[in-house]
Amino acid sequence: LPSSFLCVTVSAVWVGLVCLLFYSRLVRVGAAPICTNGQAGCHILSLADLFDRVIQHSARMHGISSDLHSEFEQYFFPSKNHIGRVNRICHTSTILTPNGKENAQRLAREELTEVILKLLVAWRDPLWHFQQSIAHHHDFNNFSSNKALEMSDMVHELRKGVEKVAEKMQMLGIISNSVNSLTSPEALIPSDRAEWRLMKDYVLLYCFRRDSNKVQNYLKILKCRIIPQHEC
Amino acid sequence: MRRAVGSVPLLLMLFFIGHAKETRYSPPGKPKLTSCRSPEKETFTCWWEPGSDGGLPTTYALYYRKENSDAVYECPDYHTAGENSCFFNKNDTSIWVNYNITVVATNALGSNFSDPVDVDVVYIVQPHTPENVTVTVMEDKDGPFLRVSWEPPRKADTRSGWITLIYELRVKLEGEEEWEEHRAGQQKMFNIFSLRSGGMYLVQVRCKPDHGFWSEWSSTTYIKVPDYFPRETSVWILIAVFSAFIFFILTWILNLKSNSVKHCLLPPVPGPKIKGFDKQLLKNGRSEEVFSALVVPGFPPTTSSDCEDLLVEYLEVYTPEEQELILEEGKDLQEGCLKSKGSPSDSDSGRGSCDSHTLLMEKCGEGEGKEEKHQERAQKGKRQQKHQTGWEEGDVSHTREDVLSPDMSEGRVKTWPSVFSPLPQYSSRPLDHQGSLETARQLCLSDSLFPPPSTSSHLSYNAKEGLALGSGQQEFYLGKKQTHPSNPQSQPRWHLQAHSDFNISSMDRKQAASGLQLPGFRSTEYVEVQRVNQEDMVILQPLFSSSCQRDGHLQIGQGEDYSKVKGVDSGNMLLLQREVEVKREEEDGDRYSCDIQDRVTESCYTTSTAASSQVTGKPTSCAGTAMPVQEEMVLAANGYVDQNITSVH
Repeated sequence: LPSSFLCVTVSAVWVGLVCLLFYSRLVRVGAAPICTNGQAGCHILSLADLFDRVIQHSARMHGISSDLHSEFEQYFFPSKNHIGRVNRICHTSTILTPNGKENAQRLAREELTEVILKLLVAWRDPLWHFQQSIAHHHDFNNFSSNKALEMSDMVHELRKGVEKVAEKMQMLGIISNSVNSLTSPEALIPSDRAEWRLMKDYVLLYCFRRDSNKVQNYLKILKCRIIPQHEC
Repeated sequence: MRRAVGSVPLLLMLFFIGHAKETRYSPPGKPKLTSCRSPEKETFTCWWEPGSDGGLPTTYALYYRKENSDAVYECPDYHTAGENSCFFNKNDTSIWVNYNITVVATNALGSNFSDPVDVDVVYIVQPHTPENVTVTVMEDKDGPFLRVSWEPPRKADTRSGWITLIYELRVKLEGEEEWEEHRAGQQKMFNIFSLRSGGMYLVQVRCKPDHGFWSEWSSTTYIKVPDYFPRETSVWILIAVFSAFIFFILTWILNLKSNSVKHCLLPPVPGPKIKGFDKQLLKNGRSEEVFSALVVPGFPPTTSSDCEDLLVEYLEVYTPEEQELILEEGKDLQEGCLKSKGSPSDSDSGRGSCDSHTLLMEKCGEGEGKEEKHQERAQKGKRQQKHQTGWEEGDVSHTREDVLSPDMSEGRVKTWPSVFSPLPQYSSRPLDHQGSLETARQLCLSDSLFPPPSTSSHLSYNAKEGLALGSGQQEFYLGKKQTHPSNPQSQPRWHLQAHSDFNISSMDRKQAASGLQLPGFRSTEYVEVQRVNQEDMVILQPLFSSSCQRDGHLQIGQGEDYSKVKGVDSGNMLLLQREVEVKREEEDGDRYSCDIQDRVTESCYTTSTAASSQVTGKPTSCAGTAMPVQEEMVLAANGYVDQNITSVH
């Protein structure tokens, strides 16, 4: 039957047209996977990639800390005057950190890396205890306790990341090998370990928010000093 | 007098009160720090709002304390940032250090402290607007797009990574109210697509540090998009045109094949197959012509026709030696009938018995042959056909009984369906059978070859079914059979005897005819050609024996005797011979044949056979066959003319 033949022809033509229309949009370029150990088929993470990842991590860490700090300030310290008179002494104030751009640029790469690692190391235990205390408190909702937990984990991850970056830099000859010796937590934490136990939660959050900002900023300075062409 | 003295102190008091209000001083009001901002995270500025000054010149001082230190410092720069501001330069600025700032307003009467404000420089960064915002129109395969590029504010040090800025831009068409905002992240360039052709666009950019405040929008940049044709529309237009083209192609193909499609979907209804039925005529809408085509011209007989319609029957005269002649004649006549019909070569159209050779070819005595004939007859749709069919059937039965030993050895036995021309008792009721037959049909008169007249089992036809004659005057010529020659008074019974079983070889008629040896055939009667009517019909009439008798009374009143066929000339004309003299045959009874020299031209006698045959009739016993003269017929027992007379249309 010619009528059936025509129907088949028309439908085939329409199907062909539709396929042509969508074919142009189906072409996509696949991305190569990222590997860490130089396996075949993936490209090795470069120092720039490592820095980017670390900086992203620190940025996220800082964001969480800021959120928790605002939450604390809103519910527990409504009066600003009361805030002004609180003595905020952070347990990490003993760590010398550059507080200016020139000061930070004056520091060597190794020293800057050391400062970063010191800060991260100093905050691992307090944050873990903080997260523990929040989990047992009924004043905080689940959202805050989750954030505290994430914050605690992130410090740990960030420290490992920065250590990897330091290793990479040492491997590349960018910095000397004196950094690793400072990673021992015993040497970094002040002798008076009870100091931070007295910190109230609010002060802890206040201090950590600032220190996470320092870490992020130091990492950026370090990265732009070592790899200036990449987003600097 | 005393009244005037009492009012004076009152007036004085009022006067002093008034003056006292004008000259009242107070310590200054409380100032208020409005905001502190750092454009690049290296310096910062604080602004305050002075309170009431108390009527006295008031000075403002800003003091600050750094975190965890009790040292109080005063603002190093009151002027750089303008009125009621304090500018902290790089040396005085420490990042990640909490500043506790207080403004003091002082006048002669006192001072007033503002509320302290804690400031950390990191969190009060608000950069300047991005600079060098440039917008250009770039071309792409999909059309033009805008490329917006800018630079960070001059003082923000993003190169060392000290400060990280994220940018945001907004676009709108000129005249619109809503801006379209886009986040550009840290990149300093952005593309805008899907532009309106020929539109004027406004672009603005601003930036923000990762933790800080948004800058102000940059000054508006105007850009005009040139006119272009959108690609998306062109693609759709192309697709639409292509599909329309395909559609037209398919429609055209369908139109071409419409006949076959129609044939498949709507199978044609089988049309009528009637001989003489012209479908084209019917389609043209002229039904009269269609039906007229089916109408035999001579039937129904019109007034213009001869008064005596010819009912042709196939009369076969059976004579021993002249049998072939008779047969020959008959065949010629048949052929003549065939030709004269002039009917279309429709194979399944009904034809008269005298029309087709094939009819003669059929086997004898078989009903199917007859059936076929019957069908053919029926297709004609004429009642007379059917009627005759009935006759034939009836007659066949008779004939089969009666015909004795047809010579089967000779070729095929021919069935002559139309042989049966019942004409019983015609003499008595010639006109009674009008109704049956309405058209002057061409019947081949055939007279079966009868056995000796002694066989009285002649075919007797149903009188009722006598030949249906047309209106009134019909003539048909019967073979009058006189079974009892010795009984002249006996009413001659006209019997048209069916020539159903007769061996005629149509292949070679001559030979067959010649070889045909009919059994002792005694013709009983002679037929006289009465006349030739207008339509070239040979009108036969039986001759009375009396006509052959010398002493008989010739009852032939009209015409001449054309009972003897002289032959068929080259022009396929049947020559009838008029015999003046009466011969007498030795074998049988008297035989009268009148030589007829007249030529009878009949179109139906166009036969190929040019055999000169003479139809001789077998004399019947002429004696005493007196027949009452009928109106239409004058039958004489002169002889038979074995002929097929077909009326010419």
